[in-house]
Amino acid sequence: MALLETLNLSKSFGGLQAIDNVSLRVDENSVHGLIGPNGSGKSTFFNLLTGVYQPDIGSHISFNNIDITNKPAHYIASQGLARTFQLLRLYGELSVLENVLVGYHPHTKYGPLAPLIMGAEVRRQDKLVKEEMMDLLEFIGLAEHAEIPAAELSGGQRRLLALGRAIAMKPKMLLLDEPGAGLSPVNVDNLMATILTLKERYNLTIVVVEHILKVVMATCDTISVLDHGQKISEGSPTFVKNDPAVVEAYLGREMADEDIRAAMNS
Amino acid sequence: MIILSKLTDIFEYLAKRHRLLPWLLAYVLLLPLPFVLAGLFNEYLIDLVNRICLFILLAVGLNIVKGFCGQVTVGHIGLYAIGAVTSAVLSLEPGGFGGALGFGWPVWLAIPTAVLVTAFAGLIIGLPSVRLQGAYLALATLGLGESVRIFIAVTPALGSSTGLMMIPAPSVGSFTLDSFTSYYYIVMTAALFGIYFSFSILRSATGRAFQAIREDTTAAAVNGINVIKYKLLAFVFSAVYAGLAGALFAHMPPGYLHHNNFTVIEMVTLLLMVVLGGIGNVWGGVIGAIVVAIAYDQTKDLVFYFMDRPIVIQPLVFGLSMVLLVMFMPRGIGGWIEDFQRNRRFIRRSEERLNGSTRNT
Amino acid sequence: MKLKNKLLTGALIASVGFGAAITYADDIRVGITMRMVSENGQAYGQMMMDEIKGINEAGGINGHMIKATLMNDECKSDKGVANANKLVFQEKVHLLIGSSCSSVTLPIVDVTAKAGVPQLVPHSTNSKITQKGSEWVFRVPVSGRYYGGVNAKYVGENIGTKIAYICAADAASVGDCANMEKQMKARFGVEPAYRADVQEKEVDFRAHMQKIKSMNVDGILVAALAETMARALVQSYEAGIGEDVRRIGSSSASNAPVPKIAGDAVKGVFFAAAYAAADQRPIAKLFNEMVKQRYDIHAPDHDFSQAYDLVRIMEIALKNTALTGSLADDRTAIRDAIANVKGYEGLASGPISFCAAATPQCRDGNRTAVLIGYTKGGENFETEVLARVTMEEDFGLE
Repeated sequence: MALLETLNLSKSFGGLQAIDNVSLRVDENSVHGLIGPNGSGKSTFFNLLTGVYQPDIGSHISFNNIDITNKPAHYIASQGLARTFQLLRLYGELSVLENVLVGYHPHTKYGPLAPLIMGAEVRRQDKLVKEEMMDLLEFIGLAEHAEIPAAELSGGQRRLLALGRAIAMKPKMLLLDEPGAGLSPVNVDNLMATILTLKERYNLTIVVVEHILKVVMATCDTISVLDHGQKISEGSPTFVKNDPAVVEAYLGREMADEDIRAAMNS
Repeated sequence: MIILSKLTDIFEYLAKRHRLLPWLLAYVLLLPLPFVLAGLFNEYLIDLVNRICLFILLAVGLNIVKGFCGQVTVGHIGLYAIGAVTSAVLSLEPGGFGGALGFGWPVWLAIPTAVLVTAFAGLIIGLPSVRLQGAYLALATLGLGESVRIFIAVTPALGSSTGLMMIPAPSVGSFTLDSFTSYYYIVMTAALFGIYFSFSILRSATGRAFQAIREDTTAAAVNGINVIKYKLLAFVFSAVYAGLAGALFAHMPPGYLHHNNFTVIEMVTLLLMVVLGGIGNVWGGVIGAIVVAIAYDQTKDLVFYFMDRPIVIQPLVFGLSMVLLVMFMPRGIGGWIEDFQRNRRFIRRSEERLNGSTRNT
Repeated sequence: MKLKNKLLTGALIASVGFGAAITYADDIRVGITMRMVSENGQAYGQMMMDEIKGINEAGGINGHMIKATLMNDECKSDKGVANANKLVFQEKVHLLIGSSCSSVTLPIVDVTAKAGVPQLVPHSTNSKITQKGSEWVFRVPVSGRYYGGVNAKYVGENIGTKIAYICAADAASVGDCANMEKQMKARFGVEPAYRADVQEKEVDFRAHMQKIKSMNVDGILVAALAETMARALVQSYEAGIGEDVRRIGSSSASNAPVPKIAGDAVKGVFFAAAYAAADQRPIAKLFNEMVKQRYDIHAPDHDFSQAYDLVRIMEIALKNTALTGSLADDRTAIRDAIANVKGYEGLASGPISFCAAATPQCRDGNRTAVLIGYTKGGENFETEVLARVTMEEDFGLE
């Protein structure tokens, strides 16, 4: 069944139609790829799903059978939709542990005023949550750095932390915005392996935007292709790879089919 | 340096025994302070300490909204004024000597009511933060804060230009707390609780939500934090501090309020305390309040004679030392302490790891 | 590291130095807190210090030197109270002088009353200062409750009763307006013909002036601080209100910026004050000359004369005090000596007398105001004395 479904999703900024009537279904427990040339609207699409932008009138988004159209970002997050950012957007001055603790925020069991008294229950909760988050950090390999400010981590560690922070939200679905950007091929492979392990461990559905097509082809069950805000193709990796519309969007008309296939397989 | 590291050691050791132990100890150590000051120096210093306690409440409160949550507000002094005037008017006798409005409430009832009123006002001062950021937010809050002062200045019922006078001091039974020493126990207790609550907030999910908003509002929202709610909550928290400080200022003998106690100059001094102490650091606000208040008190009337003309050098000395401090300690004194603690923790951990590995081999 | 250690040591030494005020048993300690934010404000305080220095150079008071501490309160009550506390509890002064702002003097009265320190008020006029019932406070200047009566009496009898009011929102002007209005009603049964409440630093009075012009009033009361008043006066002529309509100034009309900024528009403006620079007595002429030489001030206003008178009254009282060496006893003795000052005739508009009772009748020393008119504006402005009015002791009390 579909965990996430968009119907006629549109967004225009002034005269620019960033997303144009996109309808999309993401099945539960799948890994869904979202690709497209630069400026095709992938990041905007994520921003619409997570409530960072409000879609145009007539759009519908439902998640886990709940209508989340025009709902505020924090509400959507609390329904179990987590994401990472292309530019990570970590809380630089907060420690690694605090970053994942912020991720845990929607599951906090006490109200915002409760900590004033710092009662036994609040302290017990905090202790349990901290232990749980340390387990998570252990799993992604950052436990050692738990007390270091996030800004002082290396590039690869920061990507892991961004992932960890999203996982800490205990989401049903995880949207990954170019998780491999700026990493070496070996590190990208490691990262994808980690993501797939996390998927199994936390029973996640994943939507991934990625530029490195090899990665997308290897890991995704279904791929949707966006170009100029429109969905131009969708299907299995093999289908998308051979779809002339995709080839055209990426490389223009003139190139021969063989060349393109070679480029995509490389 | 050595004193500081010993102090943090003691603090951590005590905190391990029981989380409230360091606080209790601090309270007990602070109890005899007025007698020590009066004995070694003079009673005026108790009055200075009382004022410092009020500044600590103000600075720690401002730090919650500005330091933790990153919302630039210049309206804090307006909240201070609201707390002060509300508590004063509630406790003044109707038709009293000063000719201002009065309700004749007991002081102990007037203070919490004033705090509640200020908390509500904090919500209103915080409303622009829903749509505005940075300098625009500063301007909006400045306008709101200053309008509070002007409203007091033009309303005879609130004292207007003659001020509110003979505001009663609180009393316990038949004992009136109107001496420096007796008032010290009120403001010191309030300041210590203020610091404690500030720490409790900072270390909880609420405090992390504030900091997340400061670091990256979009990321915070996507992490499930209701940004508007938490921004307003930060304003309300800081308003509670300002309201309490204001109310305690109103009832502090000689119990007099005038609208020119709440001008932009006072606000700038307050910002200076928070910046000098270290933005976002609880101890920073405390240290900033202490340092600025003492520096101000000591340099205020330094006069330098140039060609037989007196020149007041306080603005120069004060301004210059502040510029130097900010230049060489951009994260304030609090930031310096934080770095120091972090380095110590790091060294200790590496030592432990080193010792552990030698033992294993 | 070393530098930091040195800094810490320095801070420690500094903190030990705290409040270790060096006091000599024999000195008479006097604390002064004044509003010293303007050039004139500085000069008021400086003149007191210079006069005290003069007393010391002439041999002091019965062999005792006066040790004076001058502090600035910026006309802010919180700073003034802090100053008073510091002077009383740290400097342990025998006598406190202050402040020049009513809103600062009002709370200080409570400080000195509680601590038992005699307080001489240099130029705060708010009538409530002496109504608080403190045994320790003495006011040298004319109380605000008298000024309103003086103005109203003169205006009603010599100019007319159809008066327009322009009232700025500062403490002194609000009081001046209210007093004048009250006295005009009490004496002549008239309400203001027109009343405009403006901001403390209002710049545009044209709309009000046009309305006033159309009403054919006998006079306009301009109650505002010096700069604001000067602007209003200039704009009244720009609006075409003729010279036959008399302009009445509030208490700040005596301040030098008024004739300097208003220029010719100040001609004919009159006001009540406690000192006239146009006073023809030799003592006044000498004083004018002295102020001009020492502080380069042309025609001193009553804030200067009151500061001077205050030091003389203090000198008289101290000379009549037998000091015992016990601070509390000496403070009481000085208080009683001030209360015994009767009929002091100095620069002030009238004799200054105090008495022992803690009532405004006893503690508002000067009951006589002079009415002063400007005859020339600009840098070298000139004034004339129009009248001298003495009020009854309990005038203006409820």
